Amino acid sequence: MNLEDKNPNRMGELLRKSLQREEVPAGFADGVLIRAARQRAAAHDSHVPSWFRIFSQPLLRWAAFATISASLIGGGIRYREVRREREEGEAAKQQLMLALHIAGSKLRLAKSKVNEIHTSRPEREPSTNRSRSKS
Amino acid sequence: MRKANWKLLCSVFLMLASSLLRAQEFKLPVDVEKLTSRAKETVEVNMDGPMLQWASKFLSAEDPEEQKAAKVVANLKAIYVRSFEFDKEGAYSPAEVEALRAQFRSPLWSRVVGVRSEHNGENVDVFFKLENEKMAGIVIISAEPKELTFVNIVGPLEVDQLADLGGEFGIPKLNTKPSGKPLAKVEKGDHK
Repeated sequence: MNLEDKNPNRMGELLRKSLQREEVPAGFADGVLIRAARQRAAAHDSHVPSWFRIFSQPLLRWAAFATISASLIGGGIRYREVRREREEGEAAKQQLMLALHIAGSKLRLAKSKVNEIHTSRPEREPSTNRSRSKS
Repeated sequence: MRKANWKLLCSVFLMLASSLLRAQEFKLPVDVEKLTSRAKETVEVNMDGPMLQWASKFLSAEDPEEQKAAKVVANLKAIYVRSFEFDKEGAYSPAEVEALRAQFRSPLWSRVVGVRSEHNGENVDVFFKLENEKMAGIVIISAEPKELTFVNIVGPLEVDQLADLGGEFGIPKLNTKPSGKPLAKVEKGDHK
């Protein structure tokens, strides 16, 4: 600023000029918005674990989706198989228990019949002796 | 190539032979199988080695009855049961039962109990199969007026353990008290 500029009128004019409203260049707002979006994305990326960033690629994202879906379907099928196997096993166990019960009960019947004859024999013998002695 | 054919032929022959041998263990006469149509209720259990072992895997170690059953089944090879319950008496003929008993009149089998009761018509036969003086199987044929039961258990087993299972599973135990009435005929220890 030279001496002439120290003139208050001149200074006022300069001040008015510098504070004068100017039109922004075309595309300025878009540029600001793009820059802000980039900054936001960069900030977001810094929070995401590095291994997770591989899913930003669409192919890998689809592969991951397919793997998870296949695992879920496979797990579901396996669960149904295990459940069916358990049901069949329970039915087989019931059959086995029924077979053992029938076998056991018939064996007990045979044993009881044998016991009956053993216990009834000594009773009969004294009675025959008594009848003989009476006659 | 020829070797492979021979191996295939031998394996097929062995499979056929083993199935025939297994079939010979217990063969119900055709007439007896027909009883199913006449019976009010039929129980049929056929469990051979792998099936038996698989079923025993589901026996609970916490349930005392199932624990007992697991002990009985541990070394068994097969269990076959046919039980027919009829509405009325005389649904089967004594000849049909006799045909079945006849299968076990062989040197392999010993009839250890044979009960013939004219009083209540309960006839029971128990045959043991002994191999090297060890129990290798048991057959029970029980013919009652309205019930006919065949049991064949293949493999070593403790008879007392099996009898213990007879009155379990919520079903009342059989009355083993002597009735005091004389039985018509009881045969025991008829070893052949």
